[in-house]
Amino acid sequence: MSDADPGRARAAVDRAADRMLDASVLQRVVVATASTALALLVGLAVVAAAGYDPLLFLGNVFEGAFGDENALARTLKFATLFILTGVAVAVAFRAGVFNIGVQGQFVVGGVVCVVAILRLAPALPTGTAGGVALLVLGTAAAALAGGAYAALPGVLKAYAGANEIITTIMLNFIAVGVVGYLVEGPLRGEGNRAPNTERIPEYVELPAVAFDSPDFSVVGLAVALAVVAVVSVVMTRTDVGYDMVTSGHQERAATYSGVDAARTVVATMTLSGMIAGIAGAVFAVMVQGYYSDPSGVGTYGFDAIAVSLLAANNPLGVVPAGLLFGALDSAGTHIGINSDVPVQLIDGIVGLVVLFVAAPELFRVVAPRAGFGGDDR
Amino acid sequence: MSVTDYAAENRVRVGSAAALVVLVAAAAVALDLLVEAIVTVGFVERALQAATPIALAAIGGLYAEKSGVFNIGLEGFMVFGAANAAAVTWLLGGGSPSQADLWLAILAAVLISVAYAVVFAVLTVRYEADQIVAGLAVWFVGLGFGPFTAVVLWGSRNSPSIASVNDLTVPVLSAVPVVGRILFDASPLVLLTAVLAVAAWVVLYRTRYGYWIQAAGENPEALDTAGVNVARVRYAAVIFSGAMAGLGGAVLLAHAGSFIGTGDTMVNGRGWIGIVAYLFGSYNPLGAAAAALLFGGLDMLQIQFQTAGIDLPNRLVNLFPYVAVVVVLTFWGSTRMPAAVGEPYESEE
Amino acid sequence: MDASDAPPAVRLEGITKRFGDVVANDGVDFALEKGSVHALLGENGSGKTTLMSVLYGLYDQDAGTICVDGEPRTFDSPRDAMDAGVGMIHQHFQLVDPMTVLQNVILGHEPTENGLVDEATAREDVAAISSRYDFDVGRHLDARVRDLDLGIRQRVEIVKSLYRGAEVLVLDEPTAVLTPQEVERLFDVMAELTAAGRSLVFITHKLDEALTAADRVTVLRDGEVVDTVAAADTTERELARMMVGREVLFDREPRETAPGDPVLDAEGLRVRGDRGVERVRGVDCTVREGEILGVAGVQGNGQTELVEAITGLRPVAAGTVRLRGGDVTGASRRRRIEEGIAYVPEDRQAEGLVQDYDLVRNALLGNQTVEPYVNRHVVDWAAARDHAEDIVREYDVQPPNPRARAGSLSGGNQQKFVVGREIAHDPDVMVASHPTRGVDIGSIEFIHDRLLALRDEGLAILFVSSKLEEIRKLSDRVAVMYEGEFVDTVDAERVTDEELGLLMAGRGRDGDEPADEVAERATDGSGGVSP
Repeated sequence: MSDADPGRARAAVDRAADRMLDASVLQRVVVATASTALALLVGLAVVAAAGYDPLLFLGNVFEGAFGDENALARTLKFATLFILTGVAVAVAFRAGVFNIGVQGQFVVGGVVCVVAILRLAPALPTGTAGGVALLVLGTAAAALAGGAYAALPGVLKAYAGANEIITTIMLNFIAVGVVGYLVEGPLRGEGNRAPNTERIPEYVELPAVAFDSPDFSVVGLAVALAVVAVVSVVMTRTDVGYDMVTSGHQERAATYSGVDAARTVVATMTLSGMIAGIAGAVFAVMVQGYYSDPSGVGTYGFDAIAVSLLAANNPLGVVPAGLLFGALDSAGTHIGINSDVPVQLIDGIVGLVVLFVAAPELFRVVAPRAGFGGDDR
Repeated sequence: MSVTDYAAENRVRVGSAAALVVLVAAAAVALDLLVEAIVTVGFVERALQAATPIALAAIGGLYAEKSGVFNIGLEGFMVFGAANAAAVTWLLGGGSPSQADLWLAILAAVLISVAYAVVFAVLTVRYEADQIVAGLAVWFVGLGFGPFTAVVLWGSRNSPSIASVNDLTVPVLSAVPVVGRILFDASPLVLLTAVLAVAAWVVLYRTRYGYWIQAAGENPEALDTAGVNVARVRYAAVIFSGAMAGLGGAVLLAHAGSFIGTGDTMVNGRGWIGIVAYLFGSYNPLGAAAAALLFGGLDMLQIQFQTAGIDLPNRLVNLFPYVAVVVVLTFWGSTRMPAAVGEPYESEE
Repeated sequence: MDASDAPPAVRLEGITKRFGDVVANDGVDFALEKGSVHALLGENGSGKTTLMSVLYGLYDQDAGTICVDGEPRTFDSPRDAMDAGVGMIHQHFQLVDPMTVLQNVILGHEPTENGLVDEATAREDVAAISSRYDFDVGRHLDARVRDLDLGIRQRVEIVKSLYRGAEVLVLDEPTAVLTPQEVERLFDVMAELTAAGRSLVFITHKLDEALTAADRVTVLRDGEVVDTVAAADTTERELARMMVGREVLFDREPRETAPGDPVLDAEGLRVRGDRGVERVRGVDCTVREGEILGVAGVQGNGQTELVEAITGLRPVAAGTVRLRGGDVTGASRRRRIEEGIAYVPEDRQAEGLVQDYDLVRNALLGNQTVEPYVNRHVVDWAAARDHAEDIVREYDVQPPNPRARAGSLSGGNQQKFVVGREIAHDPDVMVASHPTRGVDIGSIEFIHDRLLALRDEGLAILFVSSKLEEIRKLSDRVAVMYEGEFVDTVDAERVTDEELGLLMAGRGRDGDEPADEVAERATDGSGGVSP
C-alpha cells in the first residue's frame, strides 16, 4: 500500500477510520476481556471451594500454557485448531446462521482426509512430492466433505424451515456415531487393537520447522492464519461477504437488495463446513496421523463457538481468541498431568466465558463507562 | 385448548404421526420382523422411562418459550440435574443409599437447578443476554462442571453404581395383564411425569397464569398494558423450565443408577431432543409428552432389536432418535414460534 | 356543555414533556368534557400521542397536572390510569393474536374460581358489554384474534377497555387501518359510547374526520396548543392552517412535458399474500416514460403485494410483468435491479436500510452487482463512500456524515437517503411505496419535488400512497385499488376527493357502471378541489 496509489491509501484510511469510529469494536474488546477475567475468577473460586489451592492452580495454568517450549508448542497446536474451527463458526454466525455443527463437520472432514490419503497413496509416488500432493488432495477432500455435511442442515433450514441449531447438533451426534462405527469396523486398520484407521504414510506430514513437537507444525498454524486472511477479505471486501453479513444483520434488507436468502444460507453453511473440514484435515494430519473414535478427539468444534463469540464473530478477532483458548486447553493438559484439579474445570470456565459474553448489558450496568454507548437500543 | 381442538388444529401433524406408525408396522410385517418380539410390555415400560426425562425438559422448555424466552440451555440444566442428583445421593448415603436418600437428592437437584435458572433468568430477562448464546453457555458450563463434580467426588468422570429408583407396585392392579405392568408396576417418576404433563396443560390453558405466559411470549406490550408485570411472568417461566430440566436430569440418573460424565455425558442430547419434542408437540404440554414418548421408544429400540435377533451395529441403532429429530424438523420444522421469542421487553415506565 | 356544573372528565394543565433536548409537549392545556368526543388534531410529531401517553401513565410529565373527574392524579403506569378509569386504544392493537377474543378482553383481569379462569362469568360479562353498545363482538368471543378483520379487532380493544371499567377512552389514530365503511361503523360506536356517558379523546391528523366525529377540536403544532374550537364553528381550511401554520397548498402544478412510451407493463397480475390468500386479483397497469401512476387505496387492499410482485420480492401467481417490452415476470430481484427497477420500499427501517450499518455501507445496499461499487466481486469502498457522500450532499441528509449509523437518523433523513440511493441507479422505473410516510413536512416537500423533477426527466414512476392529497398532487393518472383490483384508473387533474373516496370504498359513483364510463365521468368532473 504505497502513497503512489491514492485510491488504495484512501481505502486504508477509510478502513482505519471505520474501526476507530466503530465504538462497538472497542466495546467488544472490553466485554471479551471482562468476560474472560470474570470467568477465570469464578473458576478460581470453584477451585478454592473444591478444596484446592487457587494460587497454585493459577501458577499451573501459566506454566502449562507458556512454561517451556513444549508448553508453547502445545498452546500453538490447540490455537491452530481453535482458530480454524473458530473461523468456521464466525463465518456462519456473522451471516446469522447458527452452525453448532462444526464439531461434526470437523470429524467428517478429518476422517475423509485420512481415508482419501490412504486410498490415493498407492496411486502416487512416495516422497515429498507425493506427500504434498496427498496433503493437498486430502485437505481438498476434507473441505468438500465438511462443506457437504454442513450444506445438508443449510438446505433443511433454507427450504424446510428446520432450525439449524438443533439439526446441526443432531448431525454432530450422527457424525460421531457413524464415524465411530466406521473406525471400529469397516475402516479399522488391519490388526489394530484400538478402533483406529491405518496410519497415513510417514512422508505425508507437515514439516515441524520451528518446534520440535510431534503434533505441532508451524505450517499448520500458517494454514490457519491464511484461512483467517482469506475469510476476512471475503467478508469485508467482496459482494458475497457483503450479502452474507447483511443477511446476518437484517434479513429483509438483504432480500430487498437482491440477496437470495435461501441460497445465502446454504452458501454460508457450506463455506463454514468447508473451513471446519480443513480444520479436521489439519487435526488428522498434524496431530493424529490416523483417525480414531471421534468421541475422543476433543471438542474443538464446540469450543470454537466460544472462540467465535469471544471474538464477536470477527474472523480477525478469532486469532487472539483462539490463542487464549489454546493456552487454556494447553494449561488443562498440563494440569491434568501435574495436579489433581480436574481438567473439566477448564471446560466449565469456557462455558462461563460464553455466558458472560452473551450478556454485555451485565458489564454496561455493573461497570458503567462513558463513551462506549454505540450500540444502545 | 382441548385435546380435540389440538387434534383438529394439528390434523396434518397427528395424521402423519399416525401414518408413520402404520408405515412402520407395515414394514415390519412385510419384512417379517418379529413385531411381538419388538413391541413388548417391557419395551413400553422402557420407552416410558426413556421418554420421562425428555418430556420433563420439553414441558419446561415450552413454558419458557411460550413466555418469550428461548431456553436453549435445557441440555445443560439436565446435565446439572443428573450430576447434582448423583452427588447428593452419594453425599447422603455413600455407596449404599436408601430410596429416601435418592428422593431427597432428586429434590435437592431440582432446587439447585432453580438457583442456576435464576441466574440464567436474570441474565436473559434483566440483562437482555442473547438467549441463544446464553443457552449454549449453560450447556458448556454443564458439560464442564457436571463431570468436574464427578471427578472431585469419585476421581473419575463416571460415578460408581449408586442407586436407582424402585418401581411403585400397586397390589392387585399390577396383576392386570399388560396395563397392570405398565401403569401399576412402574417407576413412580414416570407417573409423576404424567401428572406434571397434565398439570402443565391445565395451568397453561385454564388458569390466568397460563394466559399471562402466552401473552408474554406473543405480545408482551398487551400484557403490560393489562397491568401484569411481563418480567415477572418470564422469570417464573424460565425458572420453571430450569427446574423441570433439572428434574429431567435427576430422573435420568434415578433410572440409570449411576452418573456418566464422559463424552456428552449421560444426558447425551436429550435436552435438545426435548426442544424438538415440544416443537413437534406444537408447544402443547400433552403433545410434547407424546412426542417425547416417540423419541423414548426410538431410544429403546436397540434392546428390542437385540432380543429380536436383528443384527444392527449398536452405534448405528443408537442414532435413531437423532435421525428422527432431523426428519421431524425437516417435515414439521416451520412451526410457528411465539411472536416475541428472543426479544427482551422493557416496560416504558 | 356547562363546565361550571360538572368537572371535566379529564383536565390537563401545563403539561410539559421533554425527550432529551426535544420538547414534545410544551405547557399543554386540555379539557375533555364528560360525554363528548374531543379531537386532538395535528401532524405526525406534533405531540398528540405523547400528550395522551402522559395521561395514560406511559410517560411521566416534566411539568403540569392531570385531573380526572376533578381529582388531581399521578399515574406511574397504565395500570394506575386504568384504575382511574382511563383507557387507551393504541394504533398497534394490544391484542394477543393466537388467543381468543374472550381471553384477550379479560387478560390481566380474569375472574377465577378454584384457581381456574371462570370462563362462564367472563363470557356473560363481555357479551353484556358487547350487546349493550351493539358492538358485534359477542359472536366472535371464541374466535382467535388473528382470524378477525381489523375493524372487529378495534372493537375488541374498546370492549377490553370497557371491561376494565374505562370511563374515558383515548383512541390513537383509530381510523388509520380501517376501510371507509369501518370508519363509519367506528363513528357510530363512538356516538353510542358518548350517549352512554363515556368521554372520548380522538387523536387524528385527518381534518374531515375530526369535524365529523368530534364535538370539540384541539389543534397541536410543535408540541403546543394552537387553539381549541367547537367542531360546529370551524372549517377544514381553518383547521389545516392551524395545523401547519400556513395555507396548505394541495395544488398541482401544471406539467410541461408529455408522457412517452410505456416502460412498465403488468398484465393480468395475480399475487398471493403471506397466508396464501390471493391479494392481487388480476391487475393490468402501464406506466409510461415521464409519467407518475398513482395507486390510491386504503391500506391492505393488495398494494403491498402488487409492489412486491413488480419489484421481484414476491412470486407472481399468474400474469406477466414487462419492462420495456421484455418479460421479467420470473426474474430475480437482483436482475430486476440490474434491469432498472428502482424501489423505495414501504418499510424503510426493515428493508431500505440496514440500521446497524453506516451510510457508506448502506450506499452499497442493492448495488452489490453494480459498477463501480463492485468490480468482479470486489467491493470498492472508496467508491461506495463517494456515493454516500454524493447522496448526503444532494439530498441534504442530516447529519451530513456518511459514517453515521443509519439507525441514528430521523425518519425523514433515512427516507431521503433511500430515495437518493434508488434514484442514483439511473433506473427506467421507480416504484415508490408510501415514500413520505412518517416523514417531516420539509422532507415531504423535498421528496415530492424530486419525484416531479424525475418525472420531467422522463422517469416512469409507480407511486403508492394512502394519502389522497399527495396522490392528487403528484400523479398524472390515479389507479384506485380495492380488494386486489384496480376498480378504476382516472385522470388526476379532474377527479375529486369525493370520487376517489367512493372508488376507494369499492364503489363507482352509480354502482355497477362499466369502468371506462366512470372514468369518462371522472374526467368530466368539475375539478373542484376541496381543501
